[in-house]
This record gives sequence, C-alpha cells and structure tokens, in this order.
Amino acid sequence: MAKQQPRVDAVIVGLGWTGSIMGMELTEAGLNVLALERGADRTNEDFAYPKPADELEYGIRHTMMQKPKQAAVTIRRDLEERALPQRKLGAFLPGDGVGGAGAHWTGVLIRPTPTDLQLKSFADQAFGKGVLQDDMQIQDFGVTWDELEPHFTFFEKVCGQSGTTGNLNGEIQEGGDPFEGPRSEPYPLPALQDTQNTEMFDKAARQLGYHPFPNPSANVSEAWTNPYGMQLGPCNYCGFCSRYGCLNYSKASPQTCILNALKQRSNFAYRTNANVTRVELAQDGKTATGVTYIDEHGEEVFQPADMVILASYSLNNVRLMLNSGIGKPYDPVARTGTVGRNYAYQIGGGIHMYFDDIEFNPFATAGATGRMFNDFSPGNFDSAPYGFIGGAKMHSSQASGTPIKTPLPKSAPKWGQGYKDALQQRYGHHMKLSMTGSVMSYRSNMLDLDPTWKDPYGMPLLRMTFDWKQNEHRLSAFMRDRLREIADVLKPDYRDESFNLEGSHFKVTSYVSTHNVGGAVMGTDPSTSAINRYLQSWDVHNVFVPGGNAFPQNFQANPTDLIGALTYWSAKKIREEYLKNPGPLMSA
Amino acid sequence: MSSRIKNRQRRDFLRGSLTMIPAITLGSGVTLTAQAAEPAPNLSDYQPAFFSDEEWSFLLAACDRLIPGESEGKGPGALDTNVPVFIDRQMDSPYGHAERWYMQGPFVLDGSPDLGFQYPYTPRDVYQKGIAMTQAYCQQQYGKRFETLDNDTRDTVLKALEANDIDFASLGESQKLEASEFFASLLENTKEGYLADPIHGGNKNMAAWKMVGFPGARASYRDWVDQHNVDYPLGPVSLTGERG
Amino acid sequence: MASQASQASQAFSADDDTVERGAYLARAGDCVACHSTEDGKSFAGGLAIESPFGTIYSTNITPDKEHGIGNYTEAEFAAALREGKRADGANLYPAMPYPSYARLTDDDVHALYTYFMEGVAPVADNAPETDLSFPFNQRWGITAWNWLFADADTFTPDTSADAKIERGRYLVEGLGHCGSCHTPRGLAQQEKGLDDGSDSYLSGADLNDWWAPSLRGGDGGDGRGIEGWSAPEIAEYLKTGRNVHATVGGEMTSVVAHSTSHLTDEDLTGIALYLKSLPANPAGEKATTSDQRREASEKTDAHLTAAKDLSEGERLYLDNCSACHLNDGKGAERVFPAIDGNSLVNADNPTGLIHTILAGATPPATPAIPAQLPMPGFGWRLSDDEVATLATFVRGAWGNDGDAVTADQVDKVRKTLKPSALNRAPDANGSLNHEDRDTQ
Repeated sequence: MAKQQPRVDAVIVGLGWTGSIMGMELTEAGLNVLALERGADRTNEDFAYPKPADELEYGIRHTMMQKPKQAAVTIRRDLEERALPQRKLGAFLPGDGVGGAGAHWTGVLIRPTPTDLQLKSFADQAFGKGVLQDDMQIQDFGVTWDELEPHFTFFEKVCGQSGTTGNLNGEIQEGGDPFEGPRSEPYPLPALQDTQNTEMFDKAARQLGYHPFPNPSANVSEAWTNPYGMQLGPCNYCGFCSRYGCLNYSKASPQTCILNALKQRSNFAYRTNANVTRVELAQDGKTATGVTYIDEHGEEVFQPADMVILASYSLNNVRLMLNSGIGKPYDPVARTGTVGRNYAYQIGGGIHMYFDDIEFNPFATAGATGRMFNDFSPGNFDSAPYGFIGGAKMHSSQASGTPIKTPLPKSAPKWGQGYKDALQQRYGHHMKLSMTGSVMSYRSNMLDLDPTWKDPYGMPLLRMTFDWKQNEHRLSAFMRDRLREIADVLKPDYRDESFNLEGSHFKVTSYVSTHNVGGAVMGTDPSTSAINRYLQSWDVHNVFVPGGNAFPQNFQANPTDLIGALTYWSAKKIREEYLKNPGPLMSA
Repeated sequence: MSSRIKNRQRRDFLRGSLTMIPAITLGSGVTLTAQAAEPAPNLSDYQPAFFSDEEWSFLLAACDRLIPGESEGKGPGALDTNVPVFIDRQMDSPYGHAERWYMQGPFVLDGSPDLGFQYPYTPRDVYQKGIAMTQAYCQQQYGKRFETLDNDTRDTVLKALEANDIDFASLGESQKLEASEFFASLLENTKEGYLADPIHGGNKNMAAWKMVGFPGARASYRDWVDQHNVDYPLGPVSLTGERG
Repeated sequence: MASQASQASQAFSADDDTVERGAYLARAGDCVACHSTEDGKSFAGGLAIESPFGTIYSTNITPDKEHGIGNYTEAEFAAALREGKRADGANLYPAMPYPSYARLTDDDVHALYTYFMEGVAPVADNAPETDLSFPFNQRWGITAWNWLFADADTFTPDTSADAKIERGRYLVEGLGHCGSCHTPRGLAQQEKGLDDGSDSYLSGADLNDWWAPSLRGGDGGDGRGIEGWSAPEIAEYLKTGRNVHATVGGEMTSVVAHSTSHLTDEDLTGIALYLKSLPANPAGEKATTSDQRREASEKTDAHLTAAKDLSEGERLYLDNCSACHLNDGKGAERVFPAIDGNSLVNADNPTGLIHTILAGATPPATPAIPAQLPMPGFGWRLSDDEVATLATFVRGAWGNDGDAVTADQVDKVRKTLKPSALNRAPDANGSLNHEDRDTQ
C-alpha cells in the first residue's frame, strides 16, 4: 500500500511554464495547489554568473535536460520498423527540473498566425481535392485568434517580450511583421539590437521584396518588471541562451517571471524529485482521484487531489495519459482512439555561409537576436502549385558563438592540421540562413506505449512513430530555393547547405528541434481530439492537459507563446466555470 | 513653542539607545578562499586516473595526430592544451559512466544507425575496448604498438578507424562496437577538451580560445553587440577567473 | 514567517480590528526580526544579537504563559515596551529599542498588546538565556544608563506641522527605530540624538562595520545618496526594496522584507516626506559637483567600452561585474543597482562593499516585487589582491570618490564569510545535478 499524503485541491504534474502559470491562476482562485516536479529544484541562484557559461557542461553534456535514464523515448520511422530507445539525447532536448525547458530555451516568443489556428478550414478552401497527401490528418485548433489574443498579450507581458509591432488592431506598423495577426497592444519592449548577420540578412531580404522583422524575443532588451512584480535584467548578449540558464536573468523563464511570486503564496507548495508515474482514476473511470508518484527515496506515494493538471513536457503528458488509462489509445490502422494521435514536429534546414573578411563576433549575441520574415507562412503565398501546405519562417539567427559547436564547411578536414587551420580561418566568419518549417499530422505519425522497454519504475516507455513525409520534403525544397536566392545576394566566399529533401528520413542522432507537439490534441470533436478546446480531457473531466501536446499539427513559429496563451485560456475557463460546477466543459 | 521643540532641547544631549541589530550575515568562522586558480598540470607529470599506462600512451599519440601542435600549422595542439587530461577526467564524470543515459536492455544492435547509439557500453567501455582492438590491429598489421608508429602510419590507422575499415568483430568484439564509433568518440572528446573551459582539464591556458578569438566566460557584450565587423580586442577569461 | 503570523491571527480572532492593527504595528516595529530565528517559529525568540558587550538572546514574546509573555498585564507589557522593564521589575538589555518605542501612543500599545495576546500562537519553547560577562551581566547597571539616555516621552504630534510628515516622524522615531542603525553612537553606545533636534540624528553610521547611510534627505549636501531621491522614490524603496537608484543590501534587506514592505502607501509616504524634511549632511571639503561626476562617469564608460590599455582593475570589472552593472556603472533601473554614486561603494568603511563582492547578495522578496535576482559572490573566483584591486577601481571610477582598499581589509572580511549557494565555485561535473552522483 502506497504512502498517502493529505489531499489538495489541485495537483500539478511538472513545474515548468504551464505548471507555473496554472499554479498562479489556481492559487489566485483560492485553491490549495501542490506541484510535483520529477527533476531537481532550480532557482536563480543556480544560474548566477558565471556558472552557466560552460559550453561543455550545459551545451554538450545537457546538464539541464531530461535524463534518458529516467524515461527514454523509443523511436521508429514507420509502423513496421522496430522502435529502439533513444539511449542518449539527440534530436530533441526536453528539460527537467523546476523551470523545465522554460529554463534552458532559446527565448523566441512568437505567435502563430490566425490561419495557423484554423489550418484545416484554410486547406479546405485553398487546396483542391487530391493536392495534399491523403494520409494527412490536419485539423483546426478549435480556438480562434480573437479568443486567444488577450492571453497572448498577457503572457507576453509576463515574459517582457521584445520586438517590433507589425499589426496593431489592424493597422500595419512600419518595421514589424505585416503578416502577424492583429495585436491589441504593442510589444512590451523594443526589439533586441541587431548583430552583423542580422543587418546583412535584413538588407538582402528587403532587396528581394520580403518583409523582415526582428525575431520576437523573450531575451529582454531592457530591464522589465512584469505584472507579477517579477523582474528581468536587460539582456547583455552573453551568448549563452539555448541549453543554458540565463546568467543575467534576462531570459523569460518560470524562474525569472513567475516562481518567486508563486512561492510567496501560502496556498502553494511544490515537491521536487517527485516522479509521477500515473494518474489514479475513480472506479467509474470518469474522474481522477489524484496521482501516484515515486519520491526522492524511491518510495511510492499517493497524492489525492480534486483536480489534476498534467503540465509536464508534451511527450510525457501523453505517456501519463496512456499509462493511466485516460482516454482511448489511438489505433493507426482502425483510425480509432485519440491519445497518441497526431504527433507532429518541426523541420529545419539552412545554408551555412562563410565570409573571409567579415567579423561576426558570434559570442556577442542572444538566443533570439536576428530577423525573420513571414512571407512564406500559410495564406501569405500560394503553395498549392508546389503540392504542399504549411510554411516556414525564414531567418538568420546567431544564437551562440560557443567554440565546440563552431560550424565548419563540409569540405574542411575533420581532424589534423587541416582541422586546426579551418577552425582558425572560419571561427567568427560564419552566418547561417535558416528555415524553420511546419510539420503536418499524418495517420502514422503517432505516440503509443512501447511493448518492450520500461523505465526504472517498471512503467512502459513512450514509443514515437515519426518520419518526414512528402509534404515536408516539398516544403523544404521550396524554402531551400528561396534561401539560395538570399545567399546569392550576400555572395559568401564559401557556402554549403543542409535540408531534409525527398528520400531523407528522421534521424535521432543529431539535434533537430525540441518542438515536439501533438499526441493529445485539442479540438471540438471527441473522435479526433483527446482534450476539448479548454484542454480538458474528454473522458476524465477533472484532468487538464496544457502543453504542446494540444497542437493538432505544427506551424512554423516557435510554440512557447501559444502554449502560454492556451494555458491562460484554459485556466480562465477553469476559474470562471469549472470550479463552480465541476464537470465536462463541452458536451461530447 | 510646541511641546516637540521642548522635547528636542531636552534631548540634545546624552540620549540614545543601545539597540543593536541582529548580526545574521556576519560572524562565522568559515574561511572561503579563492581557489588560486590551480595551475594546469604538465602533461608529462600527469598521472591518469582511469587509463592504464599503455592506454595513456595510445591516447597521447592519437590526440597528437587529431590536433597536432605548432610543428604542423599555427596554433596549439591537443597535447599542448592537455586534451588527454580532459579525456581522463571525463571518464570519471557522469558522461564517462553514462549515468544519464538509458542503459537498460534488451540491446538491439542491428537497427538503423539513424536510431542512434544502442551499445551496452559506457564511454569508459568504448575507450578500453577501442584502444585494445586498435592496438591489436596495429600489432597484426605492423607488428608494433600504435604509439611507436611514425606519424604517417598513425594517420593511416586513424583514417581506417574513421572509415570503419578495421573490423573490430574479427578482433574479438562481441557487441558489434564499430571502429568508426570508437573513432567518433575519440575525435569528439578531443575537440571538446581542446575548446571547453579549462575547468574541465583541457584548453590549457585557454590557448585554443586565444587561437580562435573566443572570449570565454566573460559573457558580457551589451556594449559590443552593435559594433559590427570590428575585431574584438579583449582576451578570454575562464570560469575560475583566469585571464588571458 | 509572514504567513505563519497571518495564519495565527486568522486562527485566533479573524476579524478583530484591534488584532489586525496590532499585527500591522508589529510589522512597523519589525518585532519578528529580533524575536525569531531564521528557521524558528515567529516571535519565539532565541536570535543571537551581537553587541559590543557580548551576545544577547532575544526572548520568547508569544503568549505562552510559561515561556512567553502570556502572564503580562497590559501595563506590564507597556512598561517593557517603553521603559525596558520586565514584568518582574528587572531591566531589559537595551538591545530592545525601548528608547524609541517610548514614543508609542497608548492606543498603539493597546493594539500591540491585543495582537500579541490574541493574534500570535503561543510557543512553549525557552529561548536561550543571555549570559554576558561581568560587568555587562549586571542588569541593574542599565538603570543608570536609562536614567542618562532613555527618558524619551510619548510622541506628541506637532499640530502646526504637516500631518503626513508628523505621521512619518512618529513611525521613524518610534516603531521604525531607524536611528538604531542610522544614527551614529556615542561612547556609551547611545545614539547621538533620538530625534531631529540633533544634526547627528539619522546622519549615517557604521554598523558592525557596514555603512548605514544618512537618511537625511533634504537639501544642503553634495546631492548624493538619499538627498538625490524624491519622496516617492524613497517610499518605493521601502515598499519594494529597490528603486531607480539602489537595491537594498545588508541588514536593511530583512527590514524591508519583514517590515517596511508591509506598510501602507500612506505610511511609507509619510516616512519619505519626513526624511525629506531633514536637512542633508553638509557637503564635505572634497565633495565633487554633479557636473564633475557626470564627466568622470562618461570617461570611465568610454574607456571600458573601448577595452584597450586596461588596468587590472578595469579588466577585473569587465570580467566580473559589467555583465549586470554595465560599463556605465549604472546597472539597470530597479533590477541591477548602480555602482556609480552608490553609497555602499563610496562609504568610508569599505567592509560592506568587500562583503558584497565576496559573498554576493540577494534582494528581498516583497509583496509588491517578489523577484529575487541574486548577485553572485566572487570570493571563490578572486584573490584578496584581486578584490582589493577591483574594489579600489570601482570606488574611484565614474563619479565615485572612495579611498583605495587593501588586501588585508579583504582578508579580514573573507574570514567572516559563511558558505552559501551564491559563493560556491562551479562544479566541473554538473553543479546542477548533484543527484546524478548521489543516487548511483
């Protein structure tokens, strides 16, 4: 019999962005809230200068990331391949510990477009029958731009978002993104300063008729005090963002933006090294009674709660649902069930350019410095003739200048004197043109439980079935051609490129993106979504699942802004309706 | 005259309170000393903690070819910067023990390489096995140990490892560890040791950072980010405050 | 501690106005600061208070009848508060600021009494006995001391003065006992002036070697320190622990956390207006003008930014400090304090500055600004010589004019440090993941 803790009103599984937001909202509503975090505690003190400025420890050894030892993912590319565990991290780097990935993210905080939220409706109207792959399973989010806009605005204030406004209440603003959805308020802070590559990219993109704008950033350009009284220092362009805690407290994170305020509340508590293994359900399976976790001593503990918020990483949220029997697992053959359905990702590609005579000083930068343009997001260009849907943000970012990761030309020797010469010649003389592309959802890109491998507590690992499809290959080829045109304008001394083109498959060995989304998607139809448009489980009404898992497919923008906004959206509904009258917020 | 002024006059002299404030922050006996940036050891004096003497000789010889010293091109080499010390220390880090990796069986060794590392081996194992088999190969091929070969022959052996042209299975490897896998680890760790902060044992005197122009852990460029296409004038600083 | 106190008051008499007012006054007096230990229960006493005569332990002032003050009548309570008399007639050590609390009105004493009897949870713990050596263990000696120094009267408002300022004066002289730290002391450790009748009152003092700056905020000085702050900026500082000029440090951190950040805006405004009504300390002979200081600031900024031909002190600043305090020494408004013009940096006694460089500092989490962005300590990274060189640089850079610091001074402060997360060297093997090694 497991040890039992005193009951709480709400238990939150995972104390990253969504857990912290839910913590604020539910304690404000008067609930007694407990957060369970499976990793270590982390506070700003852990990130004090100069500790994070250690490329080996954080950039290479992934000290802030989830440990596969605790819960690896097994991966296969199609339904026939034998999935194998990802024994060490590679393609994606989920966080662990208090703050989660929100402590070590890059800090690009950008909204999707209104079209991205209603992609299926857009596809039905803009694409003729047979243009798109027939195994595509894209759908609308079930929530509209106008519904989410106030929540974007608030979350961006929490983060001190820095950038240049492009569309203020329908009025297009000079210097911003003319394709962005209408914002009700301007960016809280001005954009970051431009680096050398930014200036070059901006000029070339404008010359080609595009509309570049500063990357919307949660590395803040000026000192900022947010609505919770939390503070961020002005970014000092230290160059340690992505994979690092921020040593200047300039990157929005649960630590800098929420946690001190949350910890002040007497109706909030949290436990670390508390690894939730499953949600416990009442006998009728219609409500959750709490969660079971393994504590720091390896003991199993039952934590009763009236409400369960699954706020861990998207992949783990899905795994917890599957391991707890919440909702019906997805079956890709019968096309039934919803949990595990529509796992999606993001696709990258780029052109590396080397300039012998330009000093880029790549160490003087922030994760989110740079510019991008949105001319190739859905609805802003006609992709039907090219046979794909979706889009890409086209950008030049210089996220870091740390030397172990120095990009070198593919032709450069990998070792010996030639390597040393290349390192001297090329460090600081490189810039990259990148595309970050949307990934659609398909019948066979999915998540389920692995039949073979288990975690140290005996729970099955999550199995991911994923590969790039024709749509992504075509999108990559199209975007590559556009980036080549920009490179032609810039005329580097040397260039090479890497894109996922036709015939290429998903590889887990090197980094791709930590924008793993879907698997427990939101929607208005319980036969195609695991959670309703308020992120409430269709099947177990006192379980809410905020996170990237809610995206029915992925778009080209970075996910954090939408994840934050959706969490506030869900919390508002919980506070205004659910707490007064617990039960399903939508009828099936 | 208000009573307040009268009070003031009466009290101009000889009044006060002995109130002390609690001394919470000051006053304990622990002395914290700056770790007077412990000088990096001479490679020749260093006693490896993990590698045996024979393995160590291999490591020195191999690192010297992967990033050669001043005799071959400008800039320091792997031995000048204590890269083998770095690798030896890494062997006793969470990395060396694969402490964060998923190491539960079954181990399936015939999957696609695109699905990543599947060996039942920690980096410690990979080094021990890789070195032993490379030495066995050198004995077989040249009748000599790797470190006694001339530079060109060493390079030939390293290239054969890199291209997976040395068949580890025929040298007794049972878990399908491939020569290219061992070489990839060796090369990756060599570059890490060359370019990581000296706190990890390599990059002695921050020589590799000076060579490429990376300012290390200074992490403060607000006044520099808008100075475009200009040579950054300052040398590096390490995590422990070593200035170069 | 905050929540414990408020929970206790809920448990006893949730809607009693007097209890609530008493709780507020206890905040204003910061009783909890001395009458609780860091990890102990609120008001259970036991805190060691260093005095020049030895260690004095604060007492249990919870309403426990045996261990606390549960048997005190209101009159006995008032005598303890205002005159330093224990219920049994013995004198309290004047670590208890009764010469200041003597100002309290009867009404406020009543509210405090009601709060301590009804709003505080009794704790049945004995605080350690104070055990001073002769002659300071002779409590009767204090009678003489009291006769000399501590016969202040109950506060009488000056009806001809601005009521807001008078409210501020009441709080500053009385419960706030600001003079305890900010007024220089005479030979018998008495404050040189208990109110604004003396020019010494709140004119700044050395406190356990840490400079507690002048609170005289009116005109007439060199324009630095609190003299350059507006009343709203002073109020903001007390409420949040920071303003555009400074971030609270040292002992004042806990005063803001436990006391001033909980006061009403009206009271804080009153305090600020009162401090602004006190003429500033006169400028010293070597005082610089603000124009001179501005010019010097620009010169330092430009030299650091060019980053050529740097002195060791400049290089140390760029390698350790500029990330947050920036080349202009101005930091970031409300987030990272300015070093240029900072009173701690420029204080005659550099101990506070040295301590901050070595040990780091964390601002308080206040209800209005809960953010805590800690400054790391550099004791593990810099030698005594380096700290001395760095401190000498920052004390002479920009518009600052502090004297040089020696390695001996640094060594002396270093010996007093306690280990903490902020002054720990990074661990080459994953300082954030200790559990990796522990659980294997």
